[in-house]
Amino acid sequence: MPKLYDYVLSGSCYKVRLMTALLGVTYETQAIDFYPGREHKSPAMLALNPLGQLPVFEDYGLVLRDAQAILCHLANRHDPAGTWLPRDQRFGQVMMWLGFAGGELMAVSAARMVSMLGYPGDLEALRAKGRMAMRVIEDHLSDRQLAGGIWAVGDTPTIADIALFPYVMLSHDAGIGHEDYPAINLWQRQVRRLPGFVGMPGIPDYF
Amino acid sequence: MSSDWTPIALSRDVPDGVTRAVCLEGSELVIWRGAGEAHVWEDRCPHRGMRLSLGFVRDGALNCLYHGWQYGASSSCVRIPAHPDLTVPPTIKANAYPTCEAGGLIWVGKEGAGALPALPATTTPVLSLAVATDGIEAQGLMRDLDGGRLHVFWHRVRPGKVMLHGVIEGSADVSRVAALMRQIRTQYEEGVAA
Amino acid sequence: MSLTTDQAALDQWYVLGAVSHFPFGTPVETGLLGEPVTVTRRDDGVTVIGAGRSLPVRTTYNHVWTSFGTPARDIFALPEATEPDRRWLYCGGVRVAASGLRLIENFLDLAHFPYVHTDILGSEEKPEVAKYEVEQRRDVDEIWATKCEFFQPKAAAASDGGQISQYMYRVVSPFNVMLYKTPPTAPNRWDVIALFVQPVDETHSIAHPFMLVIDPTSTDAEIIAFQQMIFLQDKIVLENQRPALLPLQPGRETPTRADLSSVLYRRWLKEKALTFGTEPRTDGVAAGA
Repeated sequence: MPKLYDYVLSGSCYKVRLMTALLGVTYETQAIDFYPGREHKSPAMLALNPLGQLPVFEDYGLVLRDAQAILCHLANRHDPAGTWLPRDQRFGQVMMWLGFAGGELMAVSAARMVSMLGYPGDLEALRAKGRMAMRVIEDHLSDRQLAGGIWAVGDTPTIADIALFPYVMLSHDAGIGHEDYPAINLWQRQVRRLPGFVGMPGIPDYF
Repeated sequence: MSSDWTPIALSRDVPDGVTRAVCLEGSELVIWRGAGEAHVWEDRCPHRGMRLSLGFVRDGALNCLYHGWQYGASSSCVRIPAHPDLTVPPTIKANAYPTCEAGGLIWVGKEGAGALPALPATTTPVLSLAVATDGIEAQGLMRDLDGGRLHVFWHRVRPGKVMLHGVIEGSADVSRVAALMRQIRTQYEEGVAA
Repeated sequence: MSLTTDQAALDQWYVLGAVSHFPFGTPVETGLLGEPVTVTRRDDGVTVIGAGRSLPVRTTYNHVWTSFGTPARDIFALPEATEPDRRWLYCGGVRVAASGLRLIENFLDLAHFPYVHTDILGSEEKPEVAKYEVEQRRDVDEIWATKCEFFQPKAAAASDGGQISQYMYRVVSPFNVMLYKTPPTAPNRWDVIALFVQPVDETHSIAHPFMLVIDPTSTDAEIIAFQQMIFLQDKIVLENQRPALLPLQPGRETPTRADLSSVLYRRWLKEKALTFGTEPRTDGVAAGA
């Protein structure tokens, strides 16, 4: 059975929990005491991921790190229809948003760690970067909605939506509300309506 | 133009069953739509002060996320789940503001507000866009387009920030007009607007 | 930001974190009641510096406690701390942009379980809050709520099904609270879950959850994850209550019978004339009147 080394408050681990739930993949979890215990930096965890980060996902004898890579793996191995990671011209766009979700949007995650857990960092600078990332998503989704769409890429949900969703939703933990983002407001409701959807702390069950 | 009414969102952006948080001159408002009708209330549940924009619309009523207190279209609380058998006193009410929809926009009015300003009869919504500036020259700023006209309305979020609301009268390519609105945003944020 | 002048707030003991979370030898900057404080842990003990002086320090229950004033009482008694089979778990400080008093009041609240902790501590099918009892124990100056009952689909990390949980709540000081709850594995004993709130300023707090539980099966990481999950579900509520300060003026909010413990808590705060973290009153009634 696949295994997720998990931290309940991590938006990156949540990407994996959400994707497995949407695909109906059963897996076991091992809770890692990321905070306050820093267990992700323990020798046992560093042996699994020398970067000392979560999530780590074991499946088919592979030990995978990086939430975006794990999303690709899940779509590749557990979605035979190929809708979550389309192989046609949408592939490049999906990859582009995965890169953004693991790149620019992680400013929201960093701001959240400072603001919520007291990690060191320049909160105002991280928030400003987070707002810039949120604006890029808002502009993109508003264009998609003007064209009659709703999802980040194409006419169906893809792993791009799943990669973007957690830190867009957790931005309030970093002090970034959603008042500026009407297109995000409509998109996130559609994500939450996907069959099998699960939430996490900070993303309420009711909407 | 009458200042009794302020446009705060595009009607399109608050479809049935949706809540939307809006900040107007530093005050927090919730817009929600149930059974087709849009409502604008203070974003605060009278029970424990929770923002109602985090709540959920069900059966044409708005429910607070914190304790599930349910408010009908009249803004009266109709159900307190912790006390299922209680008939809720009519004095428990959310704070509702005069609301109307016209020209593709949702407007909030002052108490006793007069008539709405004259608006184009039919419009196509473009975007609501947050802009870091103190305001733009006119409510209902117009830009002529091929085959139509862009009307830009706005409300002030707080000092230093406004939200623009663009609608098209006539016909035009909305995606190009969206790009035009983002150019307007850039001009204001870089301080180069005419 | 500067140190509050609210004497009722000054004359209390406050937690600044679990002793084990402070590194040896490296001073840690934090804040209390509007004033920066520096905590240093050395081999021979912990020192706290604030407002230009050394503050009193206790390490009771393996937490760092301090005070700017002269507390009328010592730190509260917790008899469960002497029971050998209890597991002590420090869940780490979480920063919340809200008055610390809002955090305490939320901790006392049963009625939000179905909506904020859906399918864990409550279920929308069973939202009713049965009558419970509240009292102010004047001999120890504590607030108690007893005979609280609630149906819970997953009451704790070790749960494998729903149960009717019995609760008791105990407010030992304006910013420190705990609950006693029936553990899934030992129905005739009480788990202790405490919330020690460090009020950094009037609208920013650090919550330090602390657990003394009977659970022979779950890992530490699982118990901490469960508690952090619950507390982070509350955080979105706490940061979105308006105003961020706790209102004490009648009519500003709307309590019902389910809010008896909150009503008594607010009355107790007024009796103490505590104003730090409360909304300024506009009805001309002074604090403590």
